[in-house]
Amino acid sequence: MLASLYRQRGLVVALVARDLKARYRGTFLGYLWSLLNPLLLLAVYTLVFTFVIPARVPTTVPYPLFLFAGLLPWLFGSGALLDAAVVLTDNGPLLRKVVCAPEVFPAVTVLSHLVHHLLALPVLLIATAVVAGLGVARFPWTVVLLPAALALWVCAVAGLSLAVAALAVHFRDLKDLLHNLLNLFFFATPIIYTLDMIPVRALRRVVQVNPVTPLIQVYRDVVLLGRVPSLLTWAWAAAVALVSWVVGAWIFSRLRETIAETV
Amino acid sequence: MSAPTAVRLAGVSKRYPLLTRRGRLHSLKGALLRGELWRLQQEREGFLALSGVDLEVRQGETVAVVGPNGSGKSTLLKLVAGILRPTLGRVEVNGRVTALIELGAGFHPEISGRDNAIVNGMMLGLSRTEIMRRLPEIVEFSGIGEFIDQPVKTYSSGMYVRLGFSVAVTVEPDVLVVDEILAVGDEVFAHRCLDRIARLQRRGAAILLVSHDLGLVEQLAHHGLYLRQGKPVLVGPAAAVVSRYRSDVASEETGAQVAGGNARRWGNGAVSLDGVDLVDAAGRPVRLLSSGEAAAIRIAYTVRQPQEDFVFGVAIHREDGSNVFGTNTELDGWRPERLAGSGEMSLEFPRLELAPGQYLVDAAVHSRAGLAYDYACEVTSFTVSAPVGWPGCYAPRHQWQPRGPAMSPPTG
Repeated sequence: MLASLYRQRGLVVALVARDLKARYRGTFLGYLWSLLNPLLLLAVYTLVFTFVIPARVPTTVPYPLFLFAGLLPWLFGSGALLDAAVVLTDNGPLLRKVVCAPEVFPAVTVLSHLVHHLLALPVLLIATAVVAGLGVARFPWTVVLLPAALALWVCAVAGLSLAVAALAVHFRDLKDLLHNLLNLFFFATPIIYTLDMIPVRALRRVVQVNPVTPLIQVYRDVVLLGRVPSLLTWAWAAAVALVSWVVGAWIFSRLRETIAETV
Repeated sequence: MSAPTAVRLAGVSKRYPLLTRRGRLHSLKGALLRGELWRLQQEREGFLALSGVDLEVRQGETVAVVGPNGSGKSTLLKLVAGILRPTLGRVEVNGRVTALIELGAGFHPEISGRDNAIVNGMMLGLSRTEIMRRLPEIVEFSGIGEFIDQPVKTYSSGMYVRLGFSVAVTVEPDVLVVDEILAVGDEVFAHRCLDRIARLQRRGAAILLVSHDLGLVEQLAHHGLYLRQGKPVLVGPAAAVVSRYRSDVASEETGAQVAGGNARRWGNGAVSLDGVDLVDAAGRPVRLLSSGEAAAIRIAYTVRQPQEDFVFGVAIHREDGSNVFGTNTELDGWRPERLAGSGEMSLEFPRLELAPGQYLVDAAVHSRAGLAYDYACEVTSFTVSAPVGWPGCYAPRHQWQPRGPAMSPPTG
C-alpha cells in the first residue's frame, strides 16, 4: 500500500494541490480562510464559554483553548473520514475509465485535510503563547513532541479512511452510519471535558477504553497542557494507530479489485 | 515481418457479479459475518460479459473490435487497459497503455484547463517534468488557445473533449485503447485526431479500437475481432470481419436468421460459391504468375434461391491482413437483375501489376445491404514473381529516364 502510494507520489501531490486550489477558487481571501476559519471558531468559543456558560477544566488553561486543542485534531479526523466515505464514488469516472490506482484517492483526502490542519495549528500555538504571555499558564515546551503525536493520529485516520473508503463503495449506508458514529465518538472522547470530570466511575471506564481517547490525549497533552504523557499512554496510542493502519490497509487491499467494477 | 507482440489475450473471460436489489451484497451483516464480501470475488454465478477470447496485437498493428451493443467490446478494452481484471485467462500487455475510453474523465470543473491537463497527464503515467515539457504541444493541438487558463467549467463540451484527447495522445502510448471517441469535435478536429492516430501507428503503437463506424474501422484497422454476446465470432482481416458483421446486421434487419458458418466462410446459402480460381490469359487456373501478366479471378456459383438483389465482390490482401485491392459489382456500377441457375463471374485484370509476394483472395456474393449469401475468406491464394524484389504491393510498369546523371542502363 505504502509502496504503491510512494510510486505515485507525484500524482498524489498534484491531486492534493488541485484540491486546495479548487477549494478556495473564486474567494477573495483564498488560503487565508484556512487560518481564518479556526480563528473565528476560537473567538466564538471564547465568547460563549467565558460569558455565556462559564466552563472550567481542572487545569490552569482557559477552557476555550482547552476545547480548541481537542477539537482541531478531531475535526481533521472526522472531516477526512466523512470525505473518505464518498471519495471513491465521487471519482468513479476516473476509476472506471482511466487506469488509476484507487488508493490514491483516500490518501489525497487525508493529506489535504492534514494540510488544512497544519494551516490551523499556528492559530492554536499563537493563542497558547498569548495566554502564556499573560501569565495565565506556562508555555507548553512539550510541543516539540507534537510531530510524534500528530504522526500517530494521521496513521490512525489514514487506516480508518482506507477502510471507510473501500467499504463505502459497497455499502452506501456507511456514510450515514458514519455521521452518527462520529457524533457518538465525539462525546465519548474527552474533547469537551477531561477524564476526571466524569462523575460516574463506570462511564469513566468506558471513555478510557475508547480507542480514540489516548490519541487525542497525547495530542492535547503535548500541544497545550505541557505534560509528557506516560509511556503507557504513548504505547496505547501507538498500538491503536498501528492496528488501525494495518486493518484499514488490509480491508482496502482485499476490496481493491472490486472497486472499479462497483463504483 | 512479424513485429513483437504488444497485447496478448489468452482464453480471457470476464464475469460480472449480478446486482441484488440492494446492491451486490445482500446485507452488511452477511457480508461481514459470513464473509460474502471475500467470497464474491470467486463467485461462479453472474453475467458472463466475455468468454474465451484469444487475441494478439503486434506493435504497429491496429485491431478493431466490432459487434452489437452489449457484446463485451468495452469490457475487452477495459481488460486490456488494466481497469478490470479477467475472471479467467490471461491478459498480457507490453509497454505503456493509454485508454481513451472517456475523454476528460476526472477533469475538475473549478480549476484551469492547464492544471487539469497536468493532473490528467500524470494520471496517464507521465511525470510532472514530462507533462510540463509537452504542455505547449497539448495546448496547441487542442486549439483551446487563451481559454487554457480558465476554469474547465466554462468550457463547451467540444473544448472539454478536445483537451482530453490532446492530453491522452501526447502521452505517446505503446498501446492505445480507443472506445468510440473519434466522433468528437468538429470536422477539422476529427481529421486531426485521425492524423494523430496514423502517426501513432507509424511510430509502432499497437491500437485497439471499438467503433460502430465500420467505414472508419476498414480505414484504420488491419485486423478485426467480431464479438457477439461476449463470444468471438471471427478474428481476421478487418475487411472480412466488417463484412461478416454487416451481413449479420443485414440479416437481423430482414428478420432472417444470422448466417451460419465458421470463421472463414459464412452466408445464408441462397447462393453458393463453388470455386474461386485465379486464371491466366488462356483461362487455365494458376497459382504463380509474373508481375504485369494478364489474369482473372473466376468465381463459379450455384443458385438455390433465385435473387434479384445481389453483388459479387472480390478482395485481395496480404497475409498480414493489409488490403491490396477490393471491388464489387455495385461499386463498379453494375446493376443486378436476376441471378438463377449456375454460372461464372470473372473479374479480369489486363495487367495484374502486383509486387512480388504472396496474396490471398476473398470472394463473396451478398445483397446490396450486406447480407451474405456466401462469403469465403482466403478462398484461394497465389504468388507473384518478378525479376526484382520490389517492396510494397503495387508494381506498375516503370522506367528511369536520366536527364543529367551519367548512368549506364541495366544490362539484359
